Amino acid sequence: MLCSTIEHATLSPMLADDGYLVERLRTGDDTAFEELVNHHAGPLLAVTRRILRNEEEARDAVQETFVAAFRGISAFQSESRVSTWLHRIAVNCALMKLRIRVRREADVDALLPHFRPDGHQDHSSVSWSESAEEILQREQSCALVRQCIDQLPEPYRVVLVLRDIEQLPADVVAEKLQITRDNLKVKLHRARQALRTLLDPHMRGAAL
Amino acid sequence: MSSVSCIELIAFLDAYVDDELDSETRGDFDRHLLVCPSCRAYLATYKETIDLARGAAEREEDLAHDAPPELIEAVLTSKSRRPKS
Ligand SMILES: [Zn+2]
Repeated sequence: MLCSTIEHATLSPMLADDGYLVERLRTGDDTAFEELVNHHAGPLLAVTRRILRNEEEARDAVQETFVAAFRGISAFQSESRVSTWLHRIAVNCALMKLRIRVRREADVDALLPHFRPDGHQDHSSVSWSESAEEILQREQSCALVRQCIDQLPEPYRVVLVLRDIEQLPADVVAEKLQITRDNLKVKLHRARQALRTLLDPHMRGAAL
Repeated sequence: MSSVSCIELIAFLDAYVDDELDSETRGDFDRHLLVCPSCRAYLATYKETIDLARGAAEREEDLAHDAPPELIEAVLTSKSRRPKS
């Protein structure tokens, strides 16, 4: 898609286009809304799928995102980017569907490191054979990483997705998930450790 | 001998990575890391885990630029069903 290439290459022309698009949206221009949907639905669906892991709910969340965006276009601050604004709405729409599921605590202990009475790790850790950049070159390795993320118990998976992947601020995530900031910190640390455990056997021995 | 154990270092590794430790504790952690290859490896793979999670998601988004046509259709229909406010 041409627009997305431009978006990644240069920021300022996109911002100018954003302004023009928003202006047309505010006047009720239907083709502007179509452009908005065509350009952003794909990336937003990737976000809602990542949070919800349920295709039907993920699509519903994208649909609700555009309805909310269209209704709230007057509140859009012209100094922010349309993609950032839509991302925030999509995360909210996805989280509203998720709330019930997050409350259920799940056991992550088996995926945390274990220690001997002298304080040393049960099994010594070893470095991985390749850097993250090298691993990410291969699409099948990226798919494996995503599969491992999906294996995390739900509350930990959600925290990792929102903090480390979507990179939302800690206080925003704590508020959305209705947990304390301390609890969020503990969950995130456990989530990273559990994901590390899941990745470890694959990453120790070179190219997958 | 270092004053922190592996279990303590790993318990507070997130604070170490996010630079939230006071300088004294950070010094203790650094001294432990110097003498403990297992914790050095744990730290490196912990950071790499975060990079991999983020990187793999970005790669997925790059590939996912086209939404299913029926979704696009549903969005456009749901909008035209609502009166403009
Ligand atoms: Zn150690």
